[in-house]
Amino acid sequence: MKTNISPTTLKALLTLVFTVFIFSSNLKAQTADEGAKIFKLNCAVCHASHTDQMGTGPGLKGLFERIPKGDWITKWIINNEKLIKSGDLYANQIYTKYNKTAMTVFEGQIDEKGVASIVAYLKGPDPASKVVAQGPVAGGGVEVVEPKGGIEPLYLILGIIVILAILIGAFRSVRTSMQNSANRSEGKAEISEVTFFQEIKGWMRGHRRLVGVFTIIIAFGGMKSCWDACYNIGVYYDWKTQKGYKPEQPVKFSHKLHAGENEIACQYCHSYVEKSRHAGIPSVNICMNCHKGIQKGPQYGEKEIGKIYAANGFDPKTGQYDPSVDNPLKWIKVHNLPDHVYFNHSQHVVIGKIECTECHGNVKEMTVAEQKAPLTMKWCIECHRKTEVIMEGNAYYDRIHKALKEKYAGQYDVKLTVEKIGGLECGKCHY
Amino acid sequence: MSMSKKYWKGLPELHNSPEFQEKAKNEFAQPLPMDEFLSSDEAEQSGTSRRDFLKVMGFSTAAVALAACETPVTKAIPYVFKPEEVTPGVANFYATTFYDGHDYSSVLVKTRESRPIKIEGNDLSKVTHGGTTARVQASVLGLYDGARLRGPMLKGIDASWKNVDDAVAASLVGGNIRILTSTIISPSTKAVIAEFKSKYPSTEHITYDAISYNALTLANKNVWGKSVVSSYDFSKAKTIVGLACDFLGNWLNPTEFAKQYVLTRKVSKEKPEMSKHYHFESNLSLTGANADERYMVKGSELGNVAVALFNEVAGATGNAKVGGNEKISNAEAVKAIKKAADALIKNKGQSIVVSGVNDEGVQTLVNGINKMLNNYGKTVDVENHFNLKQGDDKKFAELISEMAAGKVNVLMTYACNPIYTAPASLKFVEAYKKVATKVSFANVLDETAQMADVVCPDHHWLESWNDANPKRGHYSLQQPTINPIFSSPRHEGTRQFQDSMLKWSGQKTDYLSFLQGVWNNGIFPNQGKFSDFPSFWANALHDGVVKTYIHKDVVVMPMAKDSLGKPVLAGVATMINELVGDSIIKPVAQEKAKDKKEPFEAVEFHPTPDFNKAATMATAIKGGAFDLIVYEKIGLGNGNNSNNPWLMELPDPISKVTWDNYITMSPIDVKAMGLSEMLRQDIIGSLVDLTVNGIKITVPLFPQPGQAPGTIGLALGYGRNAETMKVAHNVGVNAFQFLNFINDTIQTVSGNVTVTKSEGTHKFAATQIQHTIMGREEYLLREVSLSEYTALDKSAWNPETELPVHGGGKKNVKEIDLWDDHPRLNHKWGMTIDMNSCIGCAACVVACTSENNVTVVGKEEVAKSRDMFWLRIDRYYSSDMSKEKASEENVGTKEMYIEMENPSANPKVTFQPMMCQHCNHAPCETVCPVLATTHSGEGLNQMTYNRCIGTRYCANNCPFKVRRFNWFNYTENKDFADFNPSQLELGKMVLNPDVTVRCRGVMEKCSMCTQRLQAGKLVAKKAGMPIVDGAIKTACQQACPTNAIMFGDVNDTESEVVKWRKDERNYLLLEDVGVKPTVSYMVKVRNQEEKILPKDELIGANKHEGKKEETHTEKKHS
Repeated sequence: MKTNISPTTLKALLTLVFTVFIFSSNLKAQTADEGAKIFKLNCAVCHASHTDQMGTGPGLKGLFERIPKGDWITKWIINNEKLIKSGDLYANQIYTKYNKTAMTVFEGQIDEKGVASIVAYLKGPDPASKVVAQGPVAGGGVEVVEPKGGIEPLYLILGIIVILAILIGAFRSVRTSMQNSANRSEGKAEISEVTFFQEIKGWMRGHRRLVGVFTIIIAFGGMKSCWDACYNIGVYYDWKTQKGYKPEQPVKFSHKLHAGENEIACQYCHSYVEKSRHAGIPSVNICMNCHKGIQKGPQYGEKEIGKIYAANGFDPKTGQYDPSVDNPLKWIKVHNLPDHVYFNHSQHVVIGKIECTECHGNVKEMTVAEQKAPLTMKWCIECHRKTEVIMEGNAYYDRIHKALKEKYAGQYDVKLTVEKIGGLECGKCHY
Repeated sequence: MSMSKKYWKGLPELHNSPEFQEKAKNEFAQPLPMDEFLSSDEAEQSGTSRRDFLKVMGFSTAAVALAACETPVTKAIPYVFKPEEVTPGVANFYATTFYDGHDYSSVLVKTRESRPIKIEGNDLSKVTHGGTTARVQASVLGLYDGARLRGPMLKGIDASWKNVDDAVAASLVGGNIRILTSTIISPSTKAVIAEFKSKYPSTEHITYDAISYNALTLANKNVWGKSVVSSYDFSKAKTIVGLACDFLGNWLNPTEFAKQYVLTRKVSKEKPEMSKHYHFESNLSLTGANADERYMVKGSELGNVAVALFNEVAGATGNAKVGGNEKISNAEAVKAIKKAADALIKNKGQSIVVSGVNDEGVQTLVNGINKMLNNYGKTVDVENHFNLKQGDDKKFAELISEMAAGKVNVLMTYACNPIYTAPASLKFVEAYKKVATKVSFANVLDETAQMADVVCPDHHWLESWNDANPKRGHYSLQQPTINPIFSSPRHEGTRQFQDSMLKWSGQKTDYLSFLQGVWNNGIFPNQGKFSDFPSFWANALHDGVVKTYIHKDVVVMPMAKDSLGKPVLAGVATMINELVGDSIIKPVAQEKAKDKKEPFEAVEFHPTPDFNKAATMATAIKGGAFDLIVYEKIGLGNGNNSNNPWLMELPDPISKVTWDNYITMSPIDVKAMGLSEMLRQDIIGSLVDLTVNGIKITVPLFPQPGQAPGTIGLALGYGRNAETMKVAHNVGVNAFQFLNFINDTIQTVSGNVTVTKSEGTHKFAATQIQHTIMGREEYLLREVSLSEYTALDKSAWNPETELPVHGGGKKNVKEIDLWDDHPRLNHKWGMTIDMNSCIGCAACVVACTSENNVTVVGKEEVAKSRDMFWLRIDRYYSSDMSKEKASEENVGTKEMYIEMENPSANPKVTFQPMMCQHCNHAPCETVCPVLATTHSGEGLNQMTYNRCIGTRYCANNCPFKVRRFNWFNYTENKDFADFNPSQLELGKMVLNPDVTVRCRGVMEKCSMCTQRLQAGKLVAKKAGMPIVDGAIKTACQQACPTNAIMFGDVNDTESEVVKWRKDERNYLLLEDVGVKPTVSYMVKVRNQEEKILPKDELIGANKHEGKKEETHTEKKHS
């Protein structure tokens, strides 16, 4: 019997099958993505996902061949302590194997669904290999500056000029001596020595237009290189304030990746911001909290992260530190205040409750850190003029709060700003 | 108010020479070089035309504009591994101990980013009570001294530690080994030496102090049978008699004594009692300057005073008198001895007699007096004795003869510098050359280290582990506050003395473990607070000090060894490192220590002292035309810190001379010899030849009022010839060579001295004499005698200032004002200084220098009145002439004034700390053309350096002359390279990062430690609570050993500073000028019989005089 399937039906059927297929694969991909997110947030600090690289904990390549089947992994991830205490053989085995290093208990943070997505992520392909295969574009629009190789063009040009000058000199003397020997043989008087300078002068007199053009080109080149030099030392878009200063850092660290995509809080790295006048640039050991495990970046692979290891002598293969290595990273300071200004981060963050972004801009979007605020005295003062002091709930301010209320009693719209408590006085910042 | 006394600040003012009068009219000591600049011949001859000038101008403008474009790239370099306790930008404090063989102090060290930047007193210490001295404050700079050795040296060449260890090990085989040290108060270090001794039994340890206190131990042996230095409690004394004893400045433990002394001198209407202090001395010392009654005695007669006082007291108490010379040339002193003796007897058991004369005889007599007065166990204590100053001069002399005979094979010198400090008569240098192997542990190439074969540089005290037992039952710990600065791989590095000794003794342990072993075995069992050693240790380390309640001294012996010969350290090192808090570990040696008998009780006996013999010894020195008394200065002390520019520049509290060593003589003697009396303002002194026991030196002469006629004073600590010590090298002469070795002790008095005029003159750099305060001294100082203070109303001795107003009558100055009042809504900072408590010790001056990055300017600049001190201590002399006396003796007004400026040979001294008064209506603020100095809402006069353009109008307009102009780029200018620490990479590390380093061309002055105020406010805001009174202390207040400075919020009615200000003694300086200072002072009360205030009928005359002043000031205002 011949079954006739109309083309329309076929189309519909095909569409259905295809849709289902796409839908199911999408579903799968979604769980895996979810898993990747959870994994990065909670697990990546200690575990490598798709390699057998040892971090604080073991690498997870081939995990599912090792562990008992069933819901063991769920139990283990959610509360490994409980599992160990329950006397589970494999759990105790690995606990002892890794020197009884306790793993975090994720009860209340990751549920069974979460574990499932992590499993999906771990079973899926290695995202790092994907990145390498796809090239830089996958990293989220990060422009890649190719490392410069070979000789700098400037040196090349200079070298050519020097060689040419030597050649010209040589040819000149050859010419003169040949001419002279010819003259001698002909009995003519020898040509008196014309100096190089005189000759050039003569040549220039004859080629005025060319010389003019050259002069303009050289002058322009000089100005350009001056401009570039200024650019490098921070004379940027805003001459007065350095707003927009965006120096190239020794490590291609991306705030966008760390603070933006991975949502690491500013205070995690700039950890003194609530304690000290300095927010602090993280020491290498803070980087190592994560990068002991995460040894490959999405953009530069091992190259940039390797700079961290070069600083502290960490060998990613063995997981050991070389104690003799001590090469601190030399970051370029973006936000510079003059020496005669005293600024205290903790005062502004803890007492003033100012968000980091108010002065530093949306760092989450910055690939390379950039100075967003002008950092001029005018800028400071403008803010001190309009910002109200949070006096309620802080007994320190009780006395002045009361006094100010009395002083401005009956006046409309008086804001108790920083100015009102002396925030514009010279001696508050200059001493 | 008018005072009948006349004050004068220096001889030029006293003599009122025409030059002085001329100078006094000028604000500036030096004329401004305007004429020179505008019309010098050179300028006329030079071919600089207007066109050239414009060209140069144009170029420099362009250059400046170009340079301004440049923004230097700043790098930020974080740690690789950040130490847990360090937070960049936040200071850490560590409790530790300062001890350099001479001074002791328990301190807190402020560190920023792990570098020590400031020393503060440790309030928990019961030995120093949170006080410090100028030397302790300055010692942090020694850590960053460019002269410090970077590694060991062998025969004058840099070597490695391995080579040095091998060389020393080779030399230790056979022969006599001698270790010469200054007094060691560390039980653990003593144990280390014992360890070394047990390995090399031919070793002997000799203790020698550069400035000897040996007579104290000898006398206590004579009288009590105990070779100890007794402790003293001045706070319990109602009568104090000092015999050439600078116990407030240098003697024994001045920080503690100053604290106690001042407790007896804090008077109030509720407690109108003061101790009475009689003082007999030759040089005008800091203590003499503070005494109620001071008498000048020749150096060779100091023993006679002791004999006379002994006999007076013996006569009154029914004890046997002694024979001996009682002759004293000063008749007033003879009378005073009788008076002092009466007072002592009246306050039996509540009096104290102390002497700084290092003579066994004198000290035995003094002990005898205190014994007759029943002072022992009350004000003097041999039981709770000091462990400081254990030097044995006789043994030292024996060592020298042993060395000279070639019997010493190895001599190790630690914490002493005998080549420099030994008296010339002992011929140490010659003897030293005969020692086969000379090992020095000095951390700079000092005089001894220069001659040594092996130099093993010790760590600086801020890099070391150590402990101290300054007083019986009081222990303190020394912990490193920084990693050794000179260490591998950059340098071969320094190594602690104790580590070297342990190594050479063949011990594998490091000193920290050893130290913990000693504490576990010896000190932990003597306290009853902690049951386990780790918590005891952690607490001791935190507090810095431990007081044990079981009076048992740590037995000095090598550490107990186990069967394998390893020292039993009770496992402490591992214990501490892992801090296993929950398991109590019993120290193994505890039981053993218990069985030991206290060595103290074993030798307990009461000898019968032979006071007659003592009297003979005391009067052994034969005086000549002149006696020389060498003395310790507040700044340099025994010379341990000579290379410290802060101390070199610190003006001597009495003479106010900086960067110099000179002999002091009575102005009477100076005049009689026809030498420079220094009447000129620019104080050019004579050079004289001084010959002592055949040694002749040329030295400048400084006429010093208060110096006993027929005596010469010369300070120790100068005349360093070690070339690497750039700051101190060749400054002054070495006075140690003139120490006198008699009666088996090293004494400071020499009898056989001649002075002759020499060629040439010498320019001094003194700080105060140049500053005139426009004749307003009467409005600056207020003094009253105790009897007047108690009997009279406040209006008599601290009257309100009144000014005549238009239309007749007078008004209180508080009611008259040019300006409106500014309400201080939140804080109103205020400072009050108790002039009764200030002893002039200058600890605050150095503390201020250290806290506020005050720069060192050097002798040349100080001589030009360009010193940079934000805080100075003005020293005023006063005269005996009074209006009262003038009317009695019918002296005319003019003669009276002339006579008023003429001191008695022995002037009274008043100290007054002077810093920016933070005037509420500040005259400096109104004249600043650029608003660089303004007033804050909290009552401070602020200085904004980056606004200042250096017109110096403010300094001209300041009535207190506290503003300092920064003339040069001191941190860069090569002229200051030799002594300005900031010119070295190393020296820069001492700078306080919270305070701007001022550049050239700006005015600077006391900011009232605004950085501390801001930090304190932030702490309070973060905690969400009001500022606790006393939580914020200024640097000067913190350093003060006598609590003379009080600082706080005047708006806080409960604060201590408000309580002080409510006291009747409170007054403001120059109140009639109407500047309304924020700093106030408290009237000084002297416990003297003579009246200070004029009689009633004279008050009218004073008022008349006052009027003159008033019209004067009014004119100024208009």
